[in-house]
Amino acid sequence: MSLLTQLLHNRKALVGVTILVIVILVAVFAPMLTEYSPTQRVGRPHQPPSADHWLGTTRLGYDVFTRLLYGARVSLAVGFGAGLLITVIGTVLGIIAGYKGGVVDEIITFLTNMILVIPNLPLLLVLAAFIGQASPLVIAIILGFTSWAWGVRVTRSETLSVRQRDFVKSAQMLGEPSWRIMAFEIFPNLISIVGINFIGSVIFAVITEATLEFLGLGDPNTVSWGIMLYNAQNASALSVGAWWEILTPCVALAVLGLGLALINFAIDEIANPRLRTGGMLARWTGLVRRGEGQL
Amino acid sequence: MSDPVLSIRNLSVDYIGAEADFHAVRNVSFTIAAGEFFGLAGESGCGKSTIAFAITRLLRPPAIIRSGSEILLDGRDVLALDSAALRDLRWREVAMVFQSAMNSLNPVLTIESQFYDVLRTHTGMSRTAARARAADLLRLVDIPADRLSAYPHQLSGGMRQRVVIAICLALNPKLLIMDEPTTALDVVVQREILERINRLRQELGFSVLFITHDLALMVQVSDRIGIMLEGELVEVDDAQAIYRSPRHDYTRRLWASIPRLGSERTARDAGQ
Amino acid sequence: MAFLLRRLAFYLAAFIAAATINFFLPRLMPGDPIKMMFASAGSELSLDNLNALKLTFGFIDAPIGEQYLAYLKSVFTGDLGRSIKYFPLPVSDLLGRALIWTVGLVGAATLVSFALGTFLGVMAAWRRGTRFDTVVSLASIFSSSVPAVVVSLITLFVFGYTLGWFPNGYAADPMLDPSWNWGYISSVLYHGTLPMLTMVVVLTGGFAVTMRNNMINLLGEDYIVMGRAKGLSDKGVMLWYAARNALLPTVSALAIALGAVLGGSLVTEVVFNYPGMGNTLYQAILARDYPVIQGALLIMTAAMLIANFIVDLSYVLLDPRLKRA
Repeated sequence: MSLLTQLLHNRKALVGVTILVIVILVAVFAPMLTEYSPTQRVGRPHQPPSADHWLGTTRLGYDVFTRLLYGARVSLAVGFGAGLLITVIGTVLGIIAGYKGGVVDEIITFLTNMILVIPNLPLLLVLAAFIGQASPLVIAIILGFTSWAWGVRVTRSETLSVRQRDFVKSAQMLGEPSWRIMAFEIFPNLISIVGINFIGSVIFAVITEATLEFLGLGDPNTVSWGIMLYNAQNASALSVGAWWEILTPCVALAVLGLGLALINFAIDEIANPRLRTGGMLARWTGLVRRGEGQL
Repeated sequence: MSDPVLSIRNLSVDYIGAEADFHAVRNVSFTIAAGEFFGLAGESGCGKSTIAFAITRLLRPPAIIRSGSEILLDGRDVLALDSAALRDLRWREVAMVFQSAMNSLNPVLTIESQFYDVLRTHTGMSRTAARARAADLLRLVDIPADRLSAYPHQLSGGMRQRVVIAICLALNPKLLIMDEPTTALDVVVQREILERINRLRQELGFSVLFITHDLALMVQVSDRIGIMLEGELVEVDDAQAIYRSPRHDYTRRLWASIPRLGSERTARDAGQ
Repeated sequence: MAFLLRRLAFYLAAFIAAATINFFLPRLMPGDPIKMMFASAGSELSLDNLNALKLTFGFIDAPIGEQYLAYLKSVFTGDLGRSIKYFPLPVSDLLGRALIWTVGLVGAATLVSFALGTFLGVMAAWRRGTRFDTVVSLASIFSSSVPAVVVSLITLFVFGYTLGWFPNGYAADPMLDPSWNWGYISSVLYHGTLPMLTMVVVLTGGFAVTMRNNMINLLGEDYIVMGRAKGLSDKGVMLWYAARNALLPTVSALAIALGAVLGGSLVTEVVFNYPGMGNTLYQAILARDYPVIQGALLIMTAAMLIANFIVDLSYVLLDPRLKRA
């Protein structure tokens, strides 16, 4: 609870949450915000923005604004779905490695380090190349199972320090089973790390899904921001001057990424008071200016 | 008696909060005479370290030294100095030993570099001359000169603290501030370090401001003692008086909290 | 030394893991792996050539264990097979040519953005709470959250198509012959500017945030206060006491970021039609040229491992606590 109230008092978080809420609302109410269907020709090809087509049309005559609204659904679903999967795997493995130690830790750490040094995007490309055209669901699952390594690393090191605390020791003395200690004593103390991992993973998943689709590894019938980029690139939108077709998904991805990153930065500030600058520095500067004191 | 080395008058330091301020030091005044060993005692959080940091203005925002405070070092008004003059005064006049022995040396520089940077900054000494001076200083604290090329992690905690003391003596300061210098060390090393400081003080003639929460230890080594409570200096007196006839209620309570056996031994030591 | 040997052993294991993924992927997919791998060859390859390719990828009449060993043998003898699209060009030749461009682009972009990001992070941490810090922090958040594909497309749109300041593709003027003369080199630099700029924009923010946070975490340390108490100059304390120590966790963060760096270059190369590894991999994926796809993963992994090893080496140089071992 206090994390939430603190978040709402942080200006960066407020902007970030606002952006995220707007994108979610747009995705949910897409049919009410546009009269067109995202998968039907509704105009002549490559029309610039106008009153009928706010963001113009694609080469195939789709309405760009409509595809933008509906595309948000896929980006959010893949982002949050894969982000959740990445976070769950990373957190569970990280806590187990950090708490259990010994051989279990060695194995998990070895696997983690291995995944960290094998370049992620090329690996994903190769996987997707063998699978063929991957639907958003398949992309989310692949992302979930290949990208948890960073989360394991940070969760594990945080678990190592929490494990030394008194309440964990006393739970051990009382003979609580280790799964209970991990779930109810350690996990609640990792909330901010898990939160940062989650938001970071969502950003990663949104970006990577769009990238994979842009590179032609997605299913071209999907309505998503990545496929919009792919179609625009195939239609040589830049060289024929149809900037609206390519800039629209670009701006959407940038804004969503920025919103999520602001939330992440804010969680970091709240979890680590040393990073906070806050109102006291402004007051301090004011006092020094007015000659009420000095360093 | 000559002028005091350090004279603090009406020192007030606040930590600025988003809404309310925390008054860490309230209207504190005391002096330290040349060659004197002055102890400042109190519980943690009572503001004693803040005073130590305020003397050479090492505090960082959101700390603020309230106007009306006065700090005189050898008669010079520290609070009126510009940053260049302040840097020149630091370490040359006031050197400082910090709380954590393990942590006050830069882990990525050799011991020699940590002598060299301060000697070069203040005296423009060459590297060769600095090495010779550093070797002399290490000898004062019984560390062989070949440890100059070592990194801090290669020395024990006690050795590291002795290295810090040697660096403190590099410029013959007038005042040595020790901010709980022995907290992280075991009792034997603690005593050894304090005895060494006392010998060096008699040899070299600097004054000491010794800060600790360990009143029993303090009575053994200090000439005069100040007792702090929640930012205020509640009592300043000779060490003997503080021990034998504490006037303030808080000082009496501090003594009462020290175990019997310890206080008997200190009684003998203090009465030497 | 022991530390570096341990790392080397680990890298060898990681490389074998990448090869193992390559080996099992086609065999795990539904359908006939041989048909799948060489489907795009059609009837152009002669039977002899096809058999040679099969041998390279371990498709032999033997138990799976022996197949695996046969594949590892080809990998470790540097035989990555031949490209199907550009038959009979060996994959290693094709990728070797591309690798030079990627190493140049990624290397330069990483160095520039690491230096710039670290510098900005140091300054922002040192002047925490000032307007400079706010601007750097916000710009960094933005830079680290915007996809490389977005930045490269926008850069290409603005500087390539709209303003026409820079070329829209290739690593050099195709009319020029590669040679060490100023005409060719300047053409390479000119063509490399936009991809490089894109990557610097994408990478700098992450390094800046990391350095800033590491440094702020250190500013309360006793040795920093002691540096100030010693009367050293502000710059001296900032660089030799604070930044020098904050660099250590930043360098280990760099090792983790290398994968993202490579990923970023991959996308950038595709957008700018830059003839590096990423673009080659992309073209191979479009043509379903599996030998090239698999070879690219191996070579990129090897490049990552070498880059990691370089980071390890610099870490040992930077941290005296490791030097002794």
